Amino acid sequence: MSDPNTADLHHGEIANLEDLIDRESLREVCRSFFDLFGLSIRVFSARGALLANVHEERSVCRYVNSLPDGKRACASTVGEAQVVVPTEGTVVHPCFTGAVYHVVPIVYDDRQLGRIVLGPFVPSELEDVPEPLLKVDPAVEHERAAAALRDMPRVREETAERIADHLRGVLDLILFSGHRAHLTSAMHLATVRENYRELAEKNARLQEAYDKLKELDRLKSNFLATVSHELRTPLTSIIGYSEMLQAGIAGDMSEEQNSFVETIRTKGELLLSLITSLLDLNKLERGQLSVEHEQVDPRAVLAEVKETYLPEAEKKKLVFEVECDDQVPFIQADPVRLRQILINLAGNAIKFTPDGGTVKLVAISTEMTLNEDDEDDDGFGAALMMAPEPAVEFQVHDTGMGIAEAEITKIFDAFYQVDGSSTREFGGAGLGLAIARNLVDAHHGAMRVESELEKGTTFFVTIPETPPEPE
Amino acid sequence: MQLDFKARELTVKLVYYGPALSGKTTNLQAIHRLLSPEGRGRLMTLETRDDRTLFFDLLPLSFATDSGLTVRIKLFTVPGQVIHNSTRKLVLQGADGVAFIADSQVQEVRANQASFKDLRRNLKENGLDPSKLPLVIQYNKRDLPNIRSEEDIMRMASKGKEPTYLATATHGTGVAETFLGLVELTWDHLEREHHLKERFGLDHTEVTKDLQSRFEAAGEGGGA
Ligand SMILES: Nc1nc2c(ncn2[C@@H]2O[C@H](COP(=O)(O)OP(=O)(O)O)[C@@H](O)[C@H]2O)c(=O)[nH]1
Ligand SMILES: [Mg+2]
Repeated sequence: MSDPNTADLHHGEIANLEDLIDRESLREVCRSFFDLFGLSIRVFSARGALLANVHEERSVCRYVNSLPDGKRACASTVGEAQVVVPTEGTVVHPCFTGAVYHVVPIVYDDRQLGRIVLGPFVPSELEDVPEPLLKVDPAVEHERAAAALRDMPRVREETAERIADHLRGVLDLILFSGHRAHLTSAMHLATVRENYRELAEKNARLQEAYDKLKELDRLKSNFLATVSHELRTPLTSIIGYSEMLQAGIAGDMSEEQNSFVETIRTKGELLLSLITSLLDLNKLERGQLSVEHEQVDPRAVLAEVKETYLPEAEKKKLVFEVECDDQVPFIQADPVRLRQILINLAGNAIKFTPDGGTVKLVAISTEMTLNEDDEDDDGFGAALMMAPEPAVEFQVHDTGMGIAEAEITKIFDAFYQVDGSSTREFGGAGLGLAIARNLVDAHHGAMRVESELEKGTTFFVTIPETPPEPE
Repeated sequence: MQLDFKARELTVKLVYYGPALSGKTTNLQAIHRLLSPEGRGRLMTLETRDDRTLFFDLLPLSFATDSGLTVRIKLFTVPGQVIHNSTRKLVLQGADGVAFIADSQVQEVRANQASFKDLRRNLKENGLDPSKLPLVIQYNKRDLPNIRSEEDIMRMASKGKEPTYLATATHGTGVAETFLGLVELTWDHLEREHHLKERFGLDHTEVTKDLQSRFEAAGEGGGA
């Protein structure tokens, strides 16, 4: 901010008349005043610079200046008139000839930026040749002095004031335009400079991030390739050999042998799908997940989820319902990911609901606040930031064993499943929930759970109707 | 704040911030209209052909106080359009207080919030702490249909600490309240930081009262 340009902008202040005014225009204005009223005009800046000077030598001045003592006296009067600083309004500065100067302050935005010197002119009240004029030089002749005075412009006091006011008004407009132009160009320059600085900085940061990403990407691809190769290769063999055994390639197997091999094969496949989920989760947690946004009909999503689980629900003789009224709007979301969220939640619901229980999927129209956990500014601008927006809430109800209160906060952690025993009983690691939560986050949505032991559990997922613009 | 000991002058900068077309310029125009003329400068508007603020608006105010200090208030607005971010940042430099002018229409939620986040970011980039800066919020355009309800706004406002005002700037209602609220908050803050009372005998309530009386003197002050 040491930059003078920005310092000016700081308060939009102007210090010098010289900076505000175009001298040529000022001279033209003064010239037109001169032509109109016949009064000499000089404009000085507060620093004393003469910015405009429109005058004509007056008869009385010419006469006085033709005499040696008169000339000296005239020079000293003019010198005095030019350095008068009118701090408290207009100053009337007299001349020994009986003529006067009006020294008028130029005030802009409360600051005295300079002064206007009007004159000399003769006040209309003046009748006789004043004493000081007669005495200024031994050679002064009464008749010639009187004639010269008669040739001077005569102006009434109030008229002089009105002329000064008028000139001041015109100057004020010129100053205002000058001020405006000055601020505009200063701001323009400062903005261009700031834009350039920002862009250069951003470019450097982008380049750095890009280089880093390229390196990361390389490492990641390597890692993923290794993992999938190292883990999947032996698994594929296990599954393949189990299938060959079952196909009887190595000879017939007893019923019992066949059932053991079947277990090996299905568990192998489960493991393979878990590895795939793990890789997905890894991507999600690194925030590498890209979410597409298109118009999605919540009804269609629920229908697809229902279709997916219908066979399983029938096998367990569950009451399996879907509910979504016409009020529920379309939402901007990633249809594949949204389906995955509900598939994961519904899958758990079905898994944990005993035979003959109920699983219900519901969508309702609601509102949500998008910036709730925005940074840690502690209610900063709540009147703006807490404004609710339209959203759709999905609910997945089950009549399973429920989750104890103490466990609720943990359940979204990857690998966590309510109690060790259930893992064995129902199979599958709790990855589904962790993935669902990450997908909900990627949609700027919210997720919560309500549960009662032995009664059942409901998961609530709220997705905004339109996602916030990226910042 | 800028203090000129020699001239015995205190200059304070207040900035009207907010999304494009929320009514910042209209607020300044109304202040200009509602204030009695002494010490009220010309309203300078730097706008483009399409009537949108290009750089900023500036309304200078000044008045003498009993302490002998002359108080000068510079009211600025920022251009709301996204592309003018650098200008907003420059105008925000050295701000002593900010009035955030939001558009009450429900469909403007996002624009309000984006501009508010932009304010927070620009404050930080200017080295100003958003949580310490005197800040008031105005929900403008109350005369339009489909606006967020007063009840909703007050409920949200009760969760934050910024004084929140309702206004119809085109009618001049709520404009004086917002401005006086900002002046009061700013002066409280300046008093705490700079001890103006102790150092200069400038009572921080005097400024607000003086301005208030100038709104009343002009005959239309008060508002909603
Ligand atoms: N209906 C209505 N219109 C307003 C109000 N305040 C401002 N406007 C209008 O909104 C538009 C933008 O206002 P302006 O002050 O230029 O916005 P700025 O971009 O924030 O400076 C103008 O057409 C104003 O007349 C208000 O209280 N009610
Ligand atoms: Mg504007």
